[in-house]
Amino acid sequence: MDPIAIAAVSGLRSRMQSLDLLANNIANTGTSGYKRDQEFYSLFSSEQAAGADGGEGATLPVVERQWTDFSQGTLQVTGNPQDVALDGKGFFMVNGPNGPLYTRNGSLQILPSGELAVAGKYPLQNQSGGPILVTSGKPIQISTDGTVQQDGNTLGQIKVVNLPGTDSLQKVSDACFQDQDPNNSPVNATGVEVQQGKIEQSNVPVAGAAMRLVEVMRQFEMLQKAIGISGDMDTKAIQEVARVG
Amino acid sequence: MIRALYTAASGMNAQQTNVDNIANNLANASTAGYKARRTQFQDLLYQNMHQPGTAASQQTTVPTGLQLGLGTRAASNEMILTEGSFTETDNPLDLAIQGNGFFQIRLASTGQLAYTRDGEFQMDKNGNVVTANGDTLEPQITVPAGAQSITVASDGTVSYALAGQTAAQKAGQIQLAGFQNPAGLNSLGNNLYQPTDASGDPTVANPGGQEGLGTLLQGYSEQSNVSIVEEFINMIVAQRAYEANSKVVKAADDMYQQVNNLRQ
Repeated sequence: MDPIAIAAVSGLRSRMQSLDLLANNIANTGTSGYKRDQEFYSLFSSEQAAGADGGEGATLPVVERQWTDFSQGTLQVTGNPQDVALDGKGFFMVNGPNGPLYTRNGSLQILPSGELAVAGKYPLQNQSGGPILVTSGKPIQISTDGTVQQDGNTLGQIKVVNLPGTDSLQKVSDACFQDQDPNNSPVNATGVEVQQGKIEQSNVPVAGAAMRLVEVMRQFEMLQKAIGISGDMDTKAIQEVARVG
Repeated sequence: MIRALYTAASGMNAQQTNVDNIANNLANASTAGYKARRTQFQDLLYQNMHQPGTAASQQTTVPTGLQLGLGTRAASNEMILTEGSFTETDNPLDLAIQGNGFFQIRLASTGQLAYTRDGEFQMDKNGNVVTANGDTLEPQITVPAGAQSITVASDGTVSYALAGQTAAQKAGQIQLAGFQNPAGLNSLGNNLYQPTDASGDPTVANPGGQEGLGTLLQGYSEQSNVSIVEEFINMIVAQRAYEANSKVVKAADDMYQQVNNLRQ
């Protein structure tokens, strides 16, 4: 196959993956604590794509990884005492089914056992890694350092952590992240405030996403045209160059 | 490609649920004791295209990998349990709870207990204090015919005076129920709630007690806690998010069409 078509097809395939990521971002514009994904285009050099003269090989675009934008979303005031948002860099540490999970989704629920939890199932950790138990139906007060109080009694302090590297964080649904690198251990976050009665919205810029959508679509169209041109050239080469007489 | 279509469809579905919820909040903006609900979204599972940690070359490994998300869903719509505003009605049987408690109602149809924040009570022909649907308040309060003024104290004591008598008679004491997690209550309609495993069992106590269920306020009724402005803003956001998702469907469709046109 000729190099133009190979390069264009690999461009088409990576634009499709771009669209997949974009579609997920746009679908999650309403998910609190959601962090947007963006693709990394890397170059892939292949021998197959190398020129016939053995010169410099063509490089093909390929999407091999994405990066997650951990910037803070807008803090929306809800007035609900069970909503907390983190103002600053940090994550809530929660107990997942396979080890700790990290999230910035602060929509808290009370489990039947009385534990404060996110996503309706993952208990929030206190400073020593234990749960924060609510004792009655009275309202809870959460101060900016994360101390949870009910009826004048301190129930515990919400654990807010930072990770030295965020590259090893993998998304596991419910706006939670799991750390894939055992050497990347969490440290207590500093300079972050826990704000009660607010919730962090997703950080997907809708206008930017719409623009990117148009961009991906038009690039896809151009690549499709390139394949068409390459096909025409092949046709001409076969039908006209080789014609005798 | 088809992935993007379904992802966008999940976003549209979720926003549709959101608008349904907003519509119900707005429709109940003037329902006494109604608590607004807010839709919560969650992202779905992720498809790992390139597993992080796999070998990228002989010396290096892929640091992050490629994860493609599969969309969103409306996970829950939880009750916002802030207090609604109190309006003065001067009706002696309009009661507002200043606190987190609920009135206990004995359902005539099933005999079971249900719970409500709607304190607009009435009296039936037997002198029982009942809800607008005729279900009795629990513990039952009965006021005899000919009672002149009915007074409900902040601790729930209901007393009345008979014509020609100066001493007030006690008709009973209203009790309130509290839940560990009131957001987990199940809505039955008619302003009634039922406990679930998530809400926990009710603790019943007198108003104004140590349990902190709140005190009663006679002659006031609690309005819904729906903020019309907030709901309208939510509606605009939901509508625009729906639109954005439909644009993704259009883009995916266009791109799919291009692929189909590759071979003409």
